[in-house]
Amino acid sequence: MHNKASLGLALAIAALSGWAIFSALEWPWKAKLFPMVIGIPLLCLALAEVLWVVFGSSAGAKAADFKLTQDQPPEVVRRRTLVATAWIGGFFVAIMLLGFPIAVPLLVVAYLRFEGKESWLLSGAFALMVWGAFYGLFERLLHLPFPPGWLLEWLGLA
Amino acid sequence: MLEASWEGLLLVLQWKPFAFMLVGIVVGFWVGLLPGIGGATTLALMLPFIYTMQPVEAFAFLLGMHSVVATTGDITSILFGVPGEATTAAIILDGHAMAKRGEAGRALGAALTASLIGALIGAAALALAIPVVRPLVLTFGSPELFMLAIVGLAFIASLSAQGARGMLRGFLAGGLGMMLAMVGQDPQAGVGRFTLDTLYLWQGLDLVPVLVGLFAIPEIIDLAVRGTSIAGDAPVGRISHGALQGMKDVFRHISLTIRCALIGTFVGITPGLGGAVAQWMAYGHATQSARNPEERKGFGAGDVRGVIGPGAACNSKEGGALIPTIAFGVPGSTSMAILLGGFFLLGLVPGPDMLTKHLSLTYSLVWTIVLANIIAVAVCVLLLNRLAGLTSVPGHRLIPVILVLVFIGSFTSNSHYADILVTLLFGAVGYFMVTAGWPRAPLVLGLVLGKIAENYLYISVARYEAAWLSRPVVMVLLAIAVSVVCYPVYQAWRARRRGTRA
Repeated sequence: MHNKASLGLALAIAALSGWAIFSALEWPWKAKLFPMVIGIPLLCLALAEVLWVVFGSSAGAKAADFKLTQDQPPEVVRRRTLVATAWIGGFFVAIMLLGFPIAVPLLVVAYLRFEGKESWLLSGAFALMVWGAFYGLFERLLHLPFPPGWLLEWLGLA
Repeated sequence: MLEASWEGLLLVLQWKPFAFMLVGIVVGFWVGLLPGIGGATTLALMLPFIYTMQPVEAFAFLLGMHSVVATTGDITSILFGVPGEATTAAIILDGHAMAKRGEAGRALGAALTASLIGALIGAAALALAIPVVRPLVLTFGSPELFMLAIVGLAFIASLSAQGARGMLRGFLAGGLGMMLAMVGQDPQAGVGRFTLDTLYLWQGLDLVPVLVGLFAIPEIIDLAVRGTSIAGDAPVGRISHGALQGMKDVFRHISLTIRCALIGTFVGITPGLGGAVAQWMAYGHATQSARNPEERKGFGAGDVRGVIGPGAACNSKEGGALIPTIAFGVPGSTSMAILLGGFFLLGLVPGPDMLTKHLSLTYSLVWTIVLANIIAVAVCVLLLNRLAGLTSVPGHRLIPVILVLVFIGSFTSNSHYADILVTLLFGAVGYFMVTAGWPRAPLVLGLVLGKIAENYLYISVARYEAAWLSRPVVMVLLAIAVSVVCYPVYQAWRARRRGTRA
């Protein structure tokens, strides 16, 4: 997984920098100076990483960064990662369709009830608390504009 | 200078900046305690809130929060052996060992007092550095500032991962960050670069959605994968006993405390090293204070000096890290790179202006570090017993709250749904980077420095053509950048040679 992810990233960066260099060829020198100065070495480095993954040793370098948990079996990690990704994606869709004021309490209730297996009472109370903080801080205090969701607009409810 | 320092103090003590600092302290206090969220992540999450603030309020809020994260992170590290922050891992070795043998109070007392002294020394270093750094900065032109950006990137890219391959990945991440900084309208020729024919990308990638995604999403997924309460099943009980003893220990080893705080400050000043390095260097120095091999064996088994050393270094590095960030616009760490983003959001440019026009604001940063740490340590001491219970909050109750913060934080940066998409995209990038063992700090630094570096490079080439490369300071900085890259390679080669001989 470690090496596959590294290979994927390196290939993506190589493709991105290749496209950047190709696009920059048509621009005036003022605009293409920096893309060329950065893009060409970046492409070379990305290709070096690709070659390192393909032909080099499998041992990877340790980054001074946050590490993912190693305590769970791989299939559990895979399943929980997919579930977490689905919740994140689902929240985004809910925001688009229903808008923040509805999506925020909905996410909290749904996550606590179905993922956290909390009672309806606790989930509802917690969601109310989070919604209260959201409404009080962002809408009343900071007056930030949160548009209604597309679905509500389409139904004429906004 | 003294007048500016006094003005800085008065600025922080105005009711609004002081209130924002208190809010920041409360946020940082919790963030430090919870291993699920990092200090850098929270800084990124809080960036959108500073749009409507005055600079002094914004920095009181951000720095007040950031200054106390490491202090409260020590508490989680000592009590549960779980690092509250990446920068508080070294304190586990002796702190948690002390907690396991019933001396948690003493360990916490020592850690909190050492943290406070460390923070004060770091802040003093920042205050003292300002008059020294100012004339130096004022002599720097565009070519020197461009090279400084390259040196900063070289530092962080070569030191944020181990070995030649780690360095390669560091540079790849940094280069990617610089490429991303080019998205949008080119400031010199007005050409739309890498905009994918969308209006949204015409103004470039906003820093906030990128940072929020890059840092928060991988941590949220990991918290979900762990599926437990964040501190596991560690017991929670009364821990205040012995705290006074720990405080006395610090003063008994005051020379060690000061030395470790100075190590932290030095590491903080050096761009790219960061707090994770500072704590281990200080721990290594603390073990050297053992007078004989028998005494050295006590380290790792609950020697209070193993708590004092990293505790002092962890907080002193913040004052040190602010020196290159403010004076040169070269952030010393990921958090400082994000804080640098805060400068730009507020319309401030780090560098000469911060040491002339905005000198009292710069001093207000020093005072914020001092006041925030004093307040945080006082609150920690008062709440020692209650703090233990906070780390047992189940992860599933935290995740929706963090997700709400992530999405709101991202959306409010431009009030555009595309910002959330950017957050999700960079969340995926961040997750893959963590999975692949690539450092994320160089990407942030590249993104933050990209626009500045391009501007300085353009001015240098347009004004001096190739002659800018032969300016003495540029050559010195180039030599530093090359040696920063070559030194780890040389070290690895020497270690291999020694291994072959043995």
